[in-house]
Amino acid sequence: MTSLDRVPVGFSARVTRVVGDDPATLRLLEMGLTPGLTLRVAGMAPLGDPIELELRGYRLSIRRREAARIEVEVVETAQVALAGV
Amino acid sequence: MPSQLDPPTNTTSVDGQETPLVVALLGNPNTGKSTLFTALAGIPTRVGNYPGVTVEEKRGQFTHQSSRIELIDLPGIYSLIPRSPDEDVAMAVLEGRQEGSPKIDCVVVLADATSLERNCYLVSQALALGLPVVVALTLVDLAADRGISVDHATLASRLGCPVIPVIAPQRDGLAPLADAIVATTKQSPPAAPTIHPEQIDDPNGHSPAALEAMARYRWIEQLLDGVVKQTPTTRWSLEERIDAVLTHRVAGTFVFIAVMLTVFSSIFWAAAPIMDLFSGAVDSVAGFLQARLPEGAVRSLLVDGVVAGVGGVVVFLPQIAMLFLFVSILEGCGYLARAAYLMDRLLVGVGLSGRSFIPLLSSFACAIPGIMATRTIENRRDRLVTILVAPLMSCSARLPVYVLLTAAFVPNTPVAGLPWLRLQAVVLASMYALGVVVAAIVAAILSRTVFRGPPQPFVMELPGWRWPQLMVVLERVREACWSFLSAAGTLIVAVSIVVWALASYPYSIEAIDAEVAREKVSLTERVESLADDTSAAAADLREELTDQLTLLNTEEGLEAARRGAASRQSFLGRAGRLIEPVVRPLGWDWRIGCAAIASFPAREVVLGTLGVIYNLGEVDPGEEEGSNMLIRRLRAATWDGSNRPVFTLPVALSIMVFFALCAQCASTLVVIGKETGSWVWPLVTFSYMTGLAWIGALLTYQLGTALL
Repeated sequence: MTSLDRVPVGFSARVTRVVGDDPATLRLLEMGLTPGLTLRVAGMAPLGDPIELELRGYRLSIRRREAARIEVEVVETAQVALAGV
Repeated sequence: MPSQLDPPTNTTSVDGQETPLVVALLGNPNTGKSTLFTALAGIPTRVGNYPGVTVEEKRGQFTHQSSRIELIDLPGIYSLIPRSPDEDVAMAVLEGRQEGSPKIDCVVVLADATSLERNCYLVSQALALGLPVVVALTLVDLAADRGISVDHATLASRLGCPVIPVIAPQRDGLAPLADAIVATTKQSPPAAPTIHPEQIDDPNGHSPAALEAMARYRWIEQLLDGVVKQTPTTRWSLEERIDAVLTHRVAGTFVFIAVMLTVFSSIFWAAAPIMDLFSGAVDSVAGFLQARLPEGAVRSLLVDGVVAGVGGVVVFLPQIAMLFLFVSILEGCGYLARAAYLMDRLLVGVGLSGRSFIPLLSSFACAIPGIMATRTIENRRDRLVTILVAPLMSCSARLPVYVLLTAAFVPNTPVAGLPWLRLQAVVLASMYALGVVVAAIVAAILSRTVFRGPPQPFVMELPGWRWPQLMVVLERVREACWSFLSAAGTLIVAVSIVVWALASYPYSIEAIDAEVAREKVSLTERVESLADDTSAAAADLREELTDQLTLLNTEEGLEAARRGAASRQSFLGRAGRLIEPVVRPLGWDWRIGCAAIASFPAREVVLGTLGVIYNLGEVDPGEEEGSNMLIRRLRAATWDGSNRPVFTLPVALSIMVFFALCAQCASTLVVIGKETGSWVWPLVTFSYMTGLAWIGALLTYQLGTALL
């Protein structure tokens, strides 16, 4: 069990809990970051923040601050599809 | 114009009784809503703002099988739970409580086939509205490329409403969509989905809204089970590769800088020939009127007021069109969101977010659309700070001021021995940098003082890479140009005429001749007083004054002196003299002060005003580079009663810095007032910017004079 901001780029993780109960939490849930979802950390901005997520067939960027509120368990290691890039 | 559908009609239907079906277009951002709107209705019949808020209202009309359909384009949103102005307005329109909006007969919900789960969230909320719903399944071609297939028939039966796949750019599925719209309005609305928040296992005590969101996604997962099929393809990995490069820490930054440089230099260089063409046309109209009309007030009004004013408007169109072309293309292909993602960390440092990037970038074209674009910023604090600093971005109205003064007074010499790096380019870039740096400082101060609070959530979709739609891009360019012409353009022409009147009246030929005579006497006296002085300096001065005296006795010289006297005696001349003590430390004479006062309605007016005020007669016409009428006039300008040129490099720089930082744009202030719903913020903006502008100009002139 860890938080999403600690998941390295390329790794997939399953959401276990979204901490907090404010408009930001609701927005994260509305965008599909619901408990039980498996997502992939697809990238990180040049200055280290925000991060890019791949979930439900689309890409979402959130700041590390928000990512820290999302508790996840890492489910698999990186697909090496991007090794050539 | 629609090919499968009948063309839009502007007349009422034959029987005169049928009211149009009112259809609202609802959808997430980036689902191809603008493309579908354009494909269905063509050019909008109405573009404006909803009363009281600056959420864009866009309506269009088309006719399908004798049914007239009024299309209302709602802002792109993710949820119908209202938390932003966009969501407020969308909900108000859908519930029929938005002032001035007709009752909705049918809701078309766009659902992006590439990310159907998230898009179905809004669909599920729309189904609960109690209105007939048609789901338009968009981007099915892109989905197919990614190996995603959607069984729309099953989806339709599960949802209880029609689901029509459309490829709007190719006009595929438009007729079935219109058929479905007409048919559903005759049927009862679909049943609201049954969401069970109570079934969510929630040990963490979430709010009912959060539980509902989770339950909605659970419902969606069941809804789409077996409906969406994914087969592996190479396309997705190509898109991933593009994304990996463009959001890469190093490569992405380089691409970003390259894209921004391309945009910037294109506006600057590519627009130049068209601008020359426009100003050439305006000059020939002025020349034609000058030659054909008898001398007098009418000719003066037409040439110096109307034509000059119109010329000052149309000359910006190429740049505005060029910038909006680039911005719409970047937006259409999904790069603007990437730019916000790449830049977020940088903007967080000054208390803003990546979302502020787009409004601030737009502000380089014009602060008005930029400020309006801040409505995409959910948080009121981030939004206010962005609004307050947006006018510091050097807009297209400043560019002509920079360009003219740079071309006229900054030598085009290589910098640091680099032949490709010219001083003029460095000065111009510095003006843009100045605005950005000052904006960053102001934003940082504001967010740490007046707007203190925790950092705001940043949750932004990065839309898939796709080709921008030509029609949508062209429509945005057309609309930008049109709104500039109709709103700013009329204002600028009006101001140009008012300024002409203020600079031309009161006009008394007796008073003017008396002043010219006094000038002559004063010059003669000064020459005589120097007669006994044998120093070299005195000899030079004597020579200069004698030259001026000789010039006064020529017909041309007398005419120039008369014009000078007329403008000094005008209302504007008197106002300029009043504020002269305030602008003197900036290196300005009262004429520049007049121009600054007169440019309050819009910055670009300053050039027209300077042209009118410095009506100083012609300089050497053989000089090829000084062909621009205004540059010649400015270069010929001297301080009253001397041959010392007014416009030196430090003075030109001081004016540029002033205009980089000042809030001389009435339209921007009006928009800020509307956007914030308070007249305090325009006042704050005007005061702080004018203060900064004065200090900046003072430092520039004083340092410039000391160093150069």
